[in-house]
Amino acid sequence: MSTPSTAREHPTTGEQRPEHASIRTYLIVAGILSAVTALEFGVIYVRRLAPVLIPLLLVLSAGKFALVVMFFMHLRYDSRVLTFLFVAPLVLATLLAIAVMTLTGEFLVFGR
Amino acid sequence: MAHRDVAGAAPGTIATRPPTARAGLAAPATIKSWITTVDHKRIGILYGVTAFAFFLIGGIEALLIRLQLARPLNTVMSAETFNSLFTMHGTTMVFLAIMPLNSVFFNYLVPLMIGARDVAFPRLNALSYWIFLFGGLFLNASFLVGTPPNAGWFGYANLTTRQFSPGPEIDFWMLSLQVLGASSIMAGVNFIVTILNMRAPGMTLMRMPLFVWMTLVTQFLIVLAFPPVTVALIYLMFDRFFGTHFFDVAAGGDLHLWQHLFWIFGHPEVYILILPAFGIVSEVLPTFSRKPLFGAQIMIYSGILIGFFGFSVWSHHMFAAGMGPVADAFFSIATMIIAIPTGVKIFNWLATMWGGTLRPTVPFHFAAGLVGLFTIGGLSGVMHASPPVDLQQTDSYFVVAHFHYVLIGGSLFGILAGATYWWPKITGRLLDERLGRLGFWIIFAGFNLTFFPQHYLGAIGMPRRIYTYNPGPGWGFWNFWSTVGAFAIAFGVFLFAVNALLSLRYGAPAGADPWDGRTLEWRTSSPPPPHDFDEIPPVYGRDSFWREKYGDDRGRKPAPLPAAPDPHGVHLPSPSHWPIVVALGLLVAAAGALTSLALVLIGAAVLVAGAFAFALEHHRTPAHVRQDGVLGVDHRKLAMWIFLGSECFLFGTLIATYLAYKGRSVVGPHPHEILNLPITTLSTFDLLMSSLLMVLALAAVQRGDRFQSRLWLGGTALFGLIFLGFQAYEFTTFVHEGLTLQTNLFGSTFFVLTGFHGGHVTLGVLWLLTLLVLDLRGRLGVQDALKVEVAGLYWHFVDVVWIAIFTLVYLLP
Repeated sequence: MSTPSTAREHPTTGEQRPEHASIRTYLIVAGILSAVTALEFGVIYVRRLAPVLIPLLLVLSAGKFALVVMFFMHLRYDSRVLTFLFVAPLVLATLLAIAVMTLTGEFLVFGR
Repeated sequence: MAHRDVAGAAPGTIATRPPTARAGLAAPATIKSWITTVDHKRIGILYGVTAFAFFLIGGIEALLIRLQLARPLNTVMSAETFNSLFTMHGTTMVFLAIMPLNSVFFNYLVPLMIGARDVAFPRLNALSYWIFLFGGLFLNASFLVGTPPNAGWFGYANLTTRQFSPGPEIDFWMLSLQVLGASSIMAGVNFIVTILNMRAPGMTLMRMPLFVWMTLVTQFLIVLAFPPVTVALIYLMFDRFFGTHFFDVAAGGDLHLWQHLFWIFGHPEVYILILPAFGIVSEVLPTFSRKPLFGAQIMIYSGILIGFFGFSVWSHHMFAAGMGPVADAFFSIATMIIAIPTGVKIFNWLATMWGGTLRPTVPFHFAAGLVGLFTIGGLSGVMHASPPVDLQQTDSYFVVAHFHYVLIGGSLFGILAGATYWWPKITGRLLDERLGRLGFWIIFAGFNLTFFPQHYLGAIGMPRRIYTYNPGPGWGFWNFWSTVGAFAIAFGVFLFAVNALLSLRYGAPAGADPWDGRTLEWRTSSPPPPHDFDEIPPVYGRDSFWREKYGDDRGRKPAPLPAAPDPHGVHLPSPSHWPIVVALGLLVAAAGALTSLALVLIGAAVLVAGAFAFALEHHRTPAHVRQDGVLGVDHRKLAMWIFLGSECFLFGTLIATYLAYKGRSVVGPHPHEILNLPITTLSTFDLLMSSLLMVLALAAVQRGDRFQSRLWLGGTALFGLIFLGFQAYEFTTFVHEGLTLQTNLFGSTFFVLTGFHGGHVTLGVLWLLTLLVLDLRGRLGVQDALKVEVAGLYWHFVDVVWIAIFTLVYLLP
C-alpha cells in the first residue's frame, strides 16, 4: 500500500512538483485530523480553557480545514493558480459572512 | 470536450471551409441540429435571438408603464397591473435581456479572440442556454396564468412572504430566478476555464483583448455573487412553502438579512451588466480611432478593481434602511473609491480617441455615446454615495434616471456597439450605415428625452413605483415628454431590427476584416468556419492581428511565427440532446413546485436521468481522456476548483445566517438544549476518515490497482452513507424532541444549513457509487484517474465544510 509520490513537470515553468503525497503522508494527516477532532471534543469540557475556548476552537478547526485542503485536495502539490482560485473566494466569502453577521442579528456591533 | 472530425478532414490535417455567409451555421441547419448544437457560435446566435425577444417583451412593458404615467390620473391600467409591469420589466431586462445579450458576445467571440476552437465544455454551454431559455419562459408563463410577479425586481422580504403575497406571483419569480442562476453559474465556470486554459500559444493574460478580460472579471462576479442571492431565494422558498421563519419578524427574523443578501448579489450584478459593455467599447474605439487602446494594462487593472470593490459597496443600496453611522460611512467611502477605476476607464477611452483617425461608423457612434451617457450615470452614482444626499433621492425618480443612464446609456449602448461591430463577423454581411446612424440618433435623442427629465422629476419629489399622480405637483409636463422619448427609443430599436433583417437578405458581403480590426476574430472568415480557425493563429502581442498586418509603432512587422502545434488535428464537439433533456427536467420540476409534488418528482427523475446520461455520454471517448490547457491543468479540474470557490460563498452565506440568528429564537428548544455532541463528533470522525479512503481510492486508480480502487471507492461511499445515517438519526431525534423547520429560528437555520450539507453529501455518494459501478464493469482505468480526482475534490470540500459546521454550529458555546 505504500506508493511513492510521483512527480510532474509544469509545462511552462518546468518546475518539478510531486503530483500527490505518499500513502504514509495521508495516514499521518488522517491521524492528526482524528486527534484534533478528539481534542476539540475534549477542550469544551475543560473549564480553565473557557476564556480562550472560542479562538482555540477556531484555530483547531482552521488547522483541520487547511490539512484537508493542502494534502487530501493536493493544493500543496498542485498549480498555484488553483490555490488562488480557491483561497481568494474563501477569504472573500469569509469577510462577507463576517460583514453580514456584523450588520444583522446578534453580531450587531455598530448600532442602528 | 467532445469531438468529431471535420467532414472530409483526415486526422491531423487542416480542414478548410470557404468563407461563405452560411459557413458559421454548419449545414444542415435543421431544427434538430439547432436543438442538439454545442457549437459556441450557434449557441451565441441562440442567445442573441432569445434575448432580443425578451428585450422586446421588457421594452413593451416599459412602454406600457410610460403610457400610464404620461399624464396625471391616467387610467390605462390598474395599480396591480402597474406593480406587475415594473416588476417584470426590471426582472426581464436584468436577467433575460442585458445579461444574455452580453452572453452572445461571450459565446460567439471569446473563443475566436483567444484563438480557440470552442469553449472548454461545449455541452455545458448548451445546457446553460437551454436552462436560461426555460427559466425565461417559466417567468413569463406567469402572464399566461394571470399571476405575474408584482413585488419589484428586488423582491424585498417580508413583502414577498406568504402573509403579504399569498398568490403564486412570487413563486414564479423566485423559482425562475433560481433556475436562471444555475444557468449563469454554469456559464461562468465554463468561460473562466475557457479563458484561462484555452488561449492560443503566445496569448498571455496581458495580451488578451480587453473584451476577454472584462468577460473574465464578469464571470468571476457571476460565480461568486449568485450564491448569496440563491441562498436568499432558498430562504424565501422555505418561508413560503414550508413555514420557516427566516423573514418572520415575530419569530426574531431580521428583514435586513434579505436586503444584504440581495444586494451582495445586486451590486456586483451592476458590474456583471456593465463590464462586458466596457470591454466592447475598449475594442470598438481603438479600431475606429486606428490607435491602440490607451493604457491597456491600466484598463485591465481598473476592470479587476471594479470587480473586487464591487463586493464591498452593496449597502449603499440600503442607506435608507437604517444601518447606523459606521456602516454608512464605510459603504459611502467604498462607493466613492470605486469611482476611481471607473473614471480611469473614461479618461483612457477619451485618450484613445484623442489624436486618432476617427471613422464615425455606427459602432463608433454607440461606443462614443456610452462614454458620454455612462459618465452622466456615473456622476449621479457618486451623488448617491453620500448618505445624506442619498436619503433625499432614495425611491425618487432621480434614482430611476441614474440607473437607466448606467444600464441603457452604459450596458445597452455597449451591446448595440458590439452588435453593429461584430454583425459582419457573425453574418458575413454589412449593415446599412445610413439607416444605422439614423437609428443611433433616434435612440440617443429618445433616451435622453426619456430619462434626463426624470432627474428633475425626482428632485422635485416624484416617488418611484407610483402608478398615478395628481396634477398638483406639476409632474405631468416632463412625464409626457419622458413617454414621448420612450416611444422614440422603441422606434430606434425597430430601425435597428429592420436594418438587421435587410442586411441578412441584401447586405453587402463583409469579408473577413471589414473594419481593419486588431484582434484575432478578424483573422478568420466572416462568418467563421465551424472549426473557427484552419490553423491555431500565431500571437504576436497585444492587438496581434494588427501587428501582423502593420507591424509595431514604427511599422516593423514581426517575423512570421510557425503555426501553433495542433497535435490532435481539427476536431469539433459532437451534438448532444442531453443538455435540453436536463434543462427540461429542471423546468418540469419548477413547474411542479407550483402545481403538484408528482410533477416535481417527474421533473427530478428526468433531471437525474438526463444528468447521468450527460455525464456518461463521452465517458470513453478518446478525446476526453486528457483536456490539459495552457495552465497545465485539466479543464475539468480547473472547473471544479472554480465551482468550489463559488460553493464557499454558498456555505458562507448559510453559516453566516445561522450565526447571525443564533440566540434570536423567541421560543425553544435552543441549541445547547438539544445538540448531541458525542454523536456529532462520531459522525465528524466518520466523514474525515471518508476523505482518507477517497485519497486511497484515487491513488489506487492512478496505480491501476483494481481491487483497491473498488475497495476504497466503496468504502468512501459507505462512510458517506454512514454520515447520512447519523444525520437522519439526529434529525429524527430533534423532531421527536419538538424541533422542526417551523419551530423557531434555530430550527429553520439549523435544518436548512445541515440539510444542504447533507444534500451535498448525498450527491457525492451518488457520484462515488457511479464511479464504483463503472469500476466494477471494468470501465474505470488509469486513464480515468482525473475523473476520480475531480469527484474527490468535491468530496473533500464537503468534508471541509463540515469541519467548519462542526465547530461553528456544534462546538462554539
